[in-house]
Amino acid sequence: MVGIVSYGTYIPEFRLRVADIAGAWHKEAQEVIGSLGLMEKSVPAADEDAVTIALESALQCFQSSKKTPSDVEALFVGSESHPYAVNPTSTIVGELLGVGRNYLAADLEFACKAATAGMEALAGLIEAKHIALGLAIGADTAQSKPHDSLEYTSAAAGVAVLMSREAGSRSAGGGKLIANLLSYTSYSSDTPDFWRRDGIQYPSHAGRFTGEPAYFAHVMGATQLLMKKTNVTPEGIDYCVFHMPNGKFPRDVARRLGFTNEQLAPSLIVDHIGNPYSASSLMGLAAVLDIAKPGQTIFMVSYGSGAGSDAFLWKVTDQITSYRRKKRQTVAEQMAKKTYIDYVGYLKRTHKI
Amino acid sequence: MNVSIIGAATTKFGELWAVSPRMLAREAVHGAMVDAGTEAREIQALFVGNMLSGILGGQEHLGAFFAEELGLTVPAFKIEGACASGGLALHNAVCSVLSGQYKTVIALGVEKMTDHRPEDVATALMGAGSEEERLAGATFPGLYALLSRVHMETYGTRPQDLAAVSVKNHYHASLNPNAQFRRLITIEQVLGSTKIADPLTLLDCSPISDGAAAVVITSGQSPKKSVSIVASTVATDTLGLAQRKSLTELRATKDAASRAYKMASVEAKDIDIAEVHDCFSIAEILALEDLGFYAKGKAAPAVSRNEVTIGKSKRLVVNPSGGLKGCGHPVGATGIKQIVELVEQLRGIAGDRQVKGAKIGLAQNVGGSGATAVVHIVCKAR
Amino acid sequence: MQSPVKIWRNQKKITTLLGKTGRIISWTIVRTPPAQFMDQAPYGVVLVELEDGMRLTAQLVDWQPKQLKIGQRVTTVVRRVTQPNADGVIPYGIKVKPI
Repeated sequence: MVGIVSYGTYIPEFRLRVADIAGAWHKEAQEVIGSLGLMEKSVPAADEDAVTIALESALQCFQSSKKTPSDVEALFVGSESHPYAVNPTSTIVGELLGVGRNYLAADLEFACKAATAGMEALAGLIEAKHIALGLAIGADTAQSKPHDSLEYTSAAAGVAVLMSREAGSRSAGGGKLIANLLSYTSYSSDTPDFWRRDGIQYPSHAGRFTGEPAYFAHVMGATQLLMKKTNVTPEGIDYCVFHMPNGKFPRDVARRLGFTNEQLAPSLIVDHIGNPYSASSLMGLAAVLDIAKPGQTIFMVSYGSGAGSDAFLWKVTDQITSYRRKKRQTVAEQMAKKTYIDYVGYLKRTHKI
Repeated sequence: MNVSIIGAATTKFGELWAVSPRMLAREAVHGAMVDAGTEAREIQALFVGNMLSGILGGQEHLGAFFAEELGLTVPAFKIEGACASGGLALHNAVCSVLSGQYKTVIALGVEKMTDHRPEDVATALMGAGSEEERLAGATFPGLYALLSRVHMETYGTRPQDLAAVSVKNHYHASLNPNAQFRRLITIEQVLGSTKIADPLTLLDCSPISDGAAAVVITSGQSPKKSVSIVASTVATDTLGLAQRKSLTELRATKDAASRAYKMASVEAKDIDIAEVHDCFSIAEILALEDLGFYAKGKAAPAVSRNEVTIGKSKRLVVNPSGGLKGCGHPVGATGIKQIVELVEQLRGIAGDRQVKGAKIGLAQNVGGSGATAVVHIVCKAR
Repeated sequence: MQSPVKIWRNQKKITTLLGKTGRIISWTIVRTPPAQFMDQAPYGVVLVELEDGMRLTAQLVDWQPKQLKIGQRVTTVVRRVTQPNADGVIPYGIKVKPI
């Protein structure tokens, strides 16, 4: 059985209110808040980037685990803001963590779902017993063009997930899993809803095309495929997590798929920090793992523009109780530790001025 | 020790846009040689103190450069030790004469800093500190600000006490025709000037300057206007502040000073005039304590009470030239300028700045935040 | 451009300083930065004594004014040292953050 041994999260402490962005562009704050469904977003410090954020989340991940970085045999970092077009984030992070030399490092890109693709790959390597321990990280300092609608939601955060197989008496290198990966599947197509050309600073998007044919088609498509594969229905699941590009889409898709508010609510980190791209659905998963009880199931679906969705069915184990006692900060605590900045401070920190 | 200074001269210090390093060196060396009455053929070696010629001007190999410029085809050396380059050049010149290898040599300190933007000069000056300090963005004012903060916490030194150093040195500089700044300033002006690195303000900091100074030294005693060098010492401490044993003193100064006093058979209380390294106001406070003139924590109030000011002091006068703050601080030139000032004072030709009855002088020249310290003690030819 | 080899050597030293805590023993705010730090000014620079007794000088990040004081507890973090030019290797280094 493959699953999660430990997880770590990092949210930069600065916040920019949606109302302040609207004010800078002379728009009606309440209108924007109403249409996007969020109040504020996280902003990185000027000297943070996907590397430093990935590292912070990984450090937190190891703080609560007996495993050490030198045990890691594969390290994938998924991001849309890898600092280099050519030169892997994963080896910079691996070196700083002290992973050693004998590991597979790879950078992944698939808009907001790069890291979950990494998790599927790790699951395969672990299941095949090619590796015992793998680390997948989703980290972003998302960029958006000033005055564009994405400016209200593009945020920064990182989540690291350490995966392994259940430690047995005869299998070497496994660990105590806090959540088992019961099943997963993916839904992919060529759908140009949101993209960024090489060398171009800001992403572009196709407006309303990012809705039905993109986000909804893929999230619902992957959900339907996984539910069929696993024979589960929304009623039989405890929690759901969806990629959160804004406050509206995940609520909408949950309702349309037949999930309730209660099932979705603990995952809605978007309300507090906006959309941290590759860390979005993983942060939602982390927030649920912070509170889920042993035996509960979590249905998680990521979304990456271009487009695709990775769907996972997790089951929380008994280990979560003792794990939680060791855990340092929860997602809720990290979201609550914040310092507000103004629009000019945001422009400086994101290197626009 | 049997070494005399027989000639000494400096250029004006300041923002000398039209004056090149060659012109600075020629003026200082020519002045010193005329003062000494020596001819070119009598000079046997040239020691050049300079820090930034390479990183700012692209010119290394200054020994050969200035030897050619000065028409002195002699053994020539560039000596570098950050802001102590001048003092180190003199120390090496003294050692060369004491060794018997040479009889009469020149020590020249020269620096050209105003060709470049202040932020580029600041970057270049950070070469005097440690890599860790450079990566932290710790500028020189920043490092001395860190020292100021500790001194303030430990001894209750206040910003106005630091300001008193700058006020005094501007007053002294107003009496010095070669000084960069000739205007008087007040404590309020110092406190109200632009913050550079808290708690240091613009007027706590020595300026970026151009200038040169030179001395001719020779073995043995010489005609009446010569001055004897009775001590020349150098001490080294860690490059970076984080590795120092103490943050309330510059141990290199203490080490160099105690050896210098022994060498000269004098004590701190015997010193009449001292040219100390006030790159920042706090540095003069530390110098007065580290040189043994005042107990720890007692120097700042003494400066405020005018105890070391020309015309007001009962004994020791500090930085009669105006120091680095008032006279200017062309980095490699300062160490030699300090000596030139002491020579003029001991000879009684310091004009409005004259400290009456000055017999024994001390110069303290520091590199970086205290990694190198050079102390010279000079007295009227015995 | 900063030497990538030098950056590589310097980064090897970082791992030993990760996740350490200590206290500020002196501080300043640099307001007139050198060229490569122009975009960051004003910034805090502190002398820190770590719990194991080692001292270091580092930039202080993500601080409130009331945290810029002797005795403030801090932890080491990895951040970009300076913004690299458009085609250079990015230097990462140790800074400290109040806790």
